[in-house]
Amino acid sequence: MFNQNGLSLDQAPPISVVFRFFFSGALFGMLAGMLILLFGTAIFDAHSTEAVILTHTLTLGVMLSFMFAALFQMLPVIAGIKLTAPVQKANRLQYPLILGVITLLLAFETAIPWLYGLASLLLGGSIFYIVSVMLKNLFELVHHSASSKGMVIALLSLALVIILALYMTAALSGAINGTYFVQMREGHYSFGLFGWISLLIISISFQVIEMFYVTPPYPRVVSYYLPITLLGLLTATFIAGLFIPSSWVVTDILLAILLTGYALLTLVRLTQKKRPLSDATIWFWRLGLVSLIFSMLTMVITLFVDNDLLKTASYLFFSFFALSIVFSMFYKIVPFLTWFHLNSQGYFTAPMMHEVIHPKTANKHLYIHLATLVTFLLSLYLTPFIYPAGLLTILSFGWITYQIYHAWKLYKHTQETGEKFEMGNINP
Amino acid sequence: MSELKKIDLDARELEHPKPLEHAIKALHELDDESYFYMLHRKNPIPLLDMAQEQGFSTLSREDDAGNWHILVAKNPAIALEELLRV
Repeated sequence: MFNQNGLSLDQAPPISVVFRFFFSGALFGMLAGMLILLFGTAIFDAHSTEAVILTHTLTLGVMLSFMFAALFQMLPVIAGIKLTAPVQKANRLQYPLILGVITLLLAFETAIPWLYGLASLLLGGSIFYIVSVMLKNLFELVHHSASSKGMVIALLSLALVIILALYMTAALSGAINGTYFVQMREGHYSFGLFGWISLLIISISFQVIEMFYVTPPYPRVVSYYLPITLLGLLTATFIAGLFIPSSWVVTDILLAILLTGYALLTLVRLTQKKRPLSDATIWFWRLGLVSLIFSMLTMVITLFVDNDLLKTASYLFFSFFALSIVFSMFYKIVPFLTWFHLNSQGYFTAPMMHEVIHPKTANKHLYIHLATLVTFLLSLYLTPFIYPAGLLTILSFGWITYQIYHAWKLYKHTQETGEKFEMGNINP
Repeated sequence: MSELKKIDLDARELEHPKPLEHAIKALHELDDESYFYMLHRKNPIPLLDMAQEQGFSTLSREDDAGNWHILVAKNPAIALEELLRV
């Protein structure tokens, strides 16, 4: 978790900041599983209230929490940025975010206008606050890496996603007439899925694939130009789409080509790793990248063939792309942070990384995650499979919740009972 | 000073965070007559920070091939610059 430009120990945020975002994300994941059980296959109709509620539970509750946990941790590592008062900043983001997500879900369910207003205030305020803090720090950087540049672009996309969301909630609450609602919705989810989620994963991968798995670096043309190309494409099409809605068709094809190319390149990079050993984290990456390819492939087909099943499959594969990578990062970050923070505090009895989360534990989660994907796909044809899919979703996020609790317990236990040492005084 | 013992670690092909894990283990073994010499593909700032905070002397230098040579000693009298193989 370090770069050669410099990470000092006191730049890393307190472990609690990262852990509690993971924890709230995992709880929202369990809520998503419960909603799947409640809604059944109604979630497969993208325009249904049920699908909208589930989508926002996953994107805002789960993905945003996990991604901000990673950002709080990775900004010092990848960009050498020290966020001052990280606990205070985390509080200002996390509590309004949790309340805002719940309020928004209730607003979707009840269509009560003031709930949309309250959700907009809570979510807009907290996300804009943290995005502006992170962007300000990133803009002040003298030496940018491909990853830090990509993070800037991803955060700018997130800001756009929120602006478009605010337009939509204002329209839904009746505050404005919402003339451009359809165009804003198109931009909202395009910037959200491709400009924020995909771009953040891609940007971080430029650094972590090489570092975690000892692979050759990405070609410079990819790492430096792919993020800005994606943002440029989305922005140009969004503006053009206000006048010519069909322009998204061309962009979707180009996006599919670019993202499939990225996924194939990363899969090749993973075959070029110097050590033959594989663990669950690398298989989570592979599963995520293959899911991205399937998602793009099905998306392109549905541009020409009107098939609801394929459309749903595309959304499903995209969700598994994002979640698989998030789980991979989780299994790298949590054991490392627990071990590293305790070591840096001088605890002689700090648990080793495999004692925090054993590789076999991550393997078992990989199987649960795979089974979840398979049951979801089966439920497209055999609707009762939606119930095991829901239960497996709860199990998957419950698994993660327990791992965070276990790591936190070990961390606190070591702090309370562990022996401290001064390395310089071990062998007098 | 008697013959110094070198604790070697070539971490260039180890996946993160193994280099840091092995290096911290190696630091525990250091005494006044030994020093740690690591080869790495990055400059491991957290390790150097941690070592310096514990009172070790450290040196890191990148060679022409892009490899980092990291030297750590517990005994401040050990001249790390002279032990550098760059």
